[in-house]
Amino acid sequence: MSAHPSDRLLHAPAAARASADTTSTVLSWLTTVDHKRIGILYGASAFAFFLLGGLEALVIRLQLAVPNNTLVSAHTFNELFTMHGTTMIFLAIMPFNAMFFNFMVPLLIGARDVAFPRLNALSYWIFLAGGLLLNASWLAGTPPDVGWFGYANLTSKHYTPGLGVDFWIFSLQILGVSSVIAAINFIVTILNMRAPGMTMMRMPLFVWMTLVVQFLIALAFPPITVGLIYLMFDRFFGTHFYDVAAGGDLHLWQHLFWIFGHPEVYILILPAFGIVSEVLPTFARKPLFGAPVVIYSGVLIGFFGFGVWSHHMFAAGMGPVADSAFSIATMLIAIPTGVKIFNWLATLWGGAVRPTSALHFAVGLVGLFTIGGLSGVMHASPPVDLQQTDSYFVVAHLHYVLIGGSLFGIFAGIYYWWPKMTGRLLGEGLGRLNFWLMFAGFNLAFFPQHYLGAIGMPRRIYTYRPDLGWNAGNLASTIGAFGIGLAVLVFMVNAWRSLRAGAPAPADPWDGRTLEWRTSSPPPPHDFDMIPPVYGRDSFWREKYGSRRVPIAGATQAGGHASIHLPAPSHWPWMAALGLLVAAVGGLTHVTLVVVGVLWTIWALVRFALEHHRTPEHADQTGGLGLDHRKMAMWLFLGSECFFFGTLIATFLAYKGRSVVGPAPHEIFNIPLTSLSTFDLLMSSLLMVLALAAVQRGDRRQARLWLFGTAFFGLIFLGFQAYEFTSFVHEGFTLQQNLFGSTFFLLTGLHGTHVAIGVFWLLSLWVLDLRGRLATVDAVKVEIAGLYWHFVDVVWIAIFTLVYLIP
Amino acid sequence: MSDQHQGHEPPTVGTYLRVALVLTVVTALEVGVIYVRRLAPIVVPLLLAMSAAKFALVALFFMHLRYESRVPTFLFVGPLVLASGLAVALMTLTGAFLVFGR
Repeated sequence: MSAHPSDRLLHAPAAARASADTTSTVLSWLTTVDHKRIGILYGASAFAFFLLGGLEALVIRLQLAVPNNTLVSAHTFNELFTMHGTTMIFLAIMPFNAMFFNFMVPLLIGARDVAFPRLNALSYWIFLAGGLLLNASWLAGTPPDVGWFGYANLTSKHYTPGLGVDFWIFSLQILGVSSVIAAINFIVTILNMRAPGMTMMRMPLFVWMTLVVQFLIALAFPPITVGLIYLMFDRFFGTHFYDVAAGGDLHLWQHLFWIFGHPEVYILILPAFGIVSEVLPTFARKPLFGAPVVIYSGVLIGFFGFGVWSHHMFAAGMGPVADSAFSIATMLIAIPTGVKIFNWLATLWGGAVRPTSALHFAVGLVGLFTIGGLSGVMHASPPVDLQQTDSYFVVAHLHYVLIGGSLFGIFAGIYYWWPKMTGRLLGEGLGRLNFWLMFAGFNLAFFPQHYLGAIGMPRRIYTYRPDLGWNAGNLASTIGAFGIGLAVLVFMVNAWRSLRAGAPAPADPWDGRTLEWRTSSPPPPHDFDMIPPVYGRDSFWREKYGSRRVPIAGATQAGGHASIHLPAPSHWPWMAALGLLVAAVGGLTHVTLVVVGVLWTIWALVRFALEHHRTPEHADQTGGLGLDHRKMAMWLFLGSECFFFGTLIATFLAYKGRSVVGPAPHEIFNIPLTSLSTFDLLMSSLLMVLALAAVQRGDRRQARLWLFGTAFFGLIFLGFQAYEFTSFVHEGFTLQQNLFGSTFFLLTGLHGTHVAIGVFWLLSLWVLDLRGRLATVDAVKVEIAGLYWHFVDVVWIAIFTLVYLIP
Repeated sequence: MSDQHQGHEPPTVGTYLRVALVLTVVTALEVGVIYVRRLAPIVVPLLLAMSAAKFALVALFFMHLRYESRVPTFLFVGPLVLASGLAVALMTLTGAFLVFGR
């Protein structure tokens, strides 16, 4: 009689353990590239920042508990709500989600790690650098105080001269880099590293939601990056992007922020939706009702999320046509969300429900997010929103969706996957206490805020008069906030007891449905002894209880060898992140540090890139879709860059003709000269493809010739650009001269920076070739450099036409 | 070994040279049309079309999209289309299209 399938224990072959790092020294954690350890690092960091953000919230609520309170000043209050919002969104919710992405996604798809383990570590250390930098502003005595959305021109040097906004700008830029790198990594992992037989529609829902979220991150962050660059240049270099007197438009900041900001809220909530879609079927012992429809609705939410951003700007004076368009789009996007709610309810209906703590939080999400969604649909109507915007009604809405939605989802995930991550069980009694305290505290804290907003209490006020009828609601809200704090304490006690002496967790404590339950708790360094067999969606459930005896794809040993290649630990990720931090600190203090930091980062990244140049196991990285991981990553990066340059070009065209003073484009451009530089760049693309062809056929002489030629033509282009810039400056046309100067120099300057990076890259490959270290097997490295180079070329094709030629 | 090219024969050096020649000619035409007064009413769509053609040639032949599976096309063209749409929306919302009429 065979043992229950979930009782299978999996033993690692000895060779697999040979290169695994299972020590617990600080050094081992500093250099880890294991997705599970990186997940734990994200989780621990997120929890620390969550406590900090929670503390900020409690001080806010204490200040508002009674009227005319003097616990903190107005200025400090502004700092508190700015830091609370920024911390909770970027340093708590997002990295909590990253904890699950990192730990669970490879397990869920039957992979042994992510596509780029060292890049994964780099993402974490850069995130930590950004989080530490933002909170260092407290220590510097000058945290940002302009709201988490930093509206221009409050953020201008004129109105906010201190360092707070600068801390905010640099921290967000660093955090953005971390997120986009991780996004590309996870997209490649999910598309290219699934176990054989796991088609896209057989993937677990959490993996689907992760995939959608990563695309949102990769595409939504570039616009805010550009917006922050504009703000930085206005503050540091006197440009005019948000300078109304020079013809600038303050709406530009709002548009760029919310083009990012609205997809960001889906970035925050979709992982929670994915968790609920895993938890409910497990504890109802039923498959997810209408799983394909839940998948499609997630994809639709992500896609349409790019089309609703101006519903955050109904009070900004866009006009009735724009208001109507975004109102309709916003109401439409509620439909796929509603579909999910009904599918979850149908999953529970008729199921053999086990009321575990994880299920409590998941069901809590369904109810609380529905309330938040209903108030959201109310905001979708511009006339209604004109009363609700900037009132506590919106505060209630956003906390119902972000705490009731995202945070409850995260806790569901923590209770669900804690046994797998730690090898211990959390206490169910304390877990339910945790839930009920949080549920009661949260509703007490935020439900009254609907009423407070409806009777006129604005957001972001630090105190209020006692005769406005707001006293009871605020006091209740403060008590509720402390209830949430108590709930979090209960969780911390539960977690501590579990880690110290919790009951050991079996591989499959919940009788789970997906592949992560097929390996031990916690998993071994290599995740799976054999790549798991796939029986369909809910593969492990089908393996245990299904009628199918033969899997769609059987267990495989990747590489067909007794030993499993595990990525070696590396110092370069944290070193590169440290360089970035030094550069950012330099931006706040002294330019010397900027130079040091940038050079340090470049050095660390070059060493990072060359670390495994000759490692045989890294030569072939072809994935399940037949595409090399690195090529796929470069295509994704170029897609993200489309948004980056698209934003820059759109701003140039939006601001065209708005300069208050001259010169105008037609007065300054030298079209014949720019035509020559355009021709030069186009020909460099020709040389690049010739170089690639030469490397692919092993012709080293021609490879060296064309690689150098491409870089040389790139240098010629940069020379043309340098000449153009200096002649413009000589004629009095500078970055600060007018709006045209600001947009032109920044757009073409950033493009030139891309060219310079490309030249450096190509010369590095050329030097490798000179040293005999660029063989036919390295052709893919030349190919991805080529893709980058050609992209830089096509961006110039667009710039040449749209900036120089169009009258 | 690296991923396979699907659907079409790999490009030859002759293909690359022909594409480069077309890019040069189109660039010359682009510069030329802005000096032809008779074309002034249609110069903007003309320039946009020529620019798009050059973009497509580089993407299809130099970036090998024509010779790859659909995955890279989806990963690149999807965001490109979405970014273009957002750029147009941003320009519309900020009143940029008045520029072309000035």
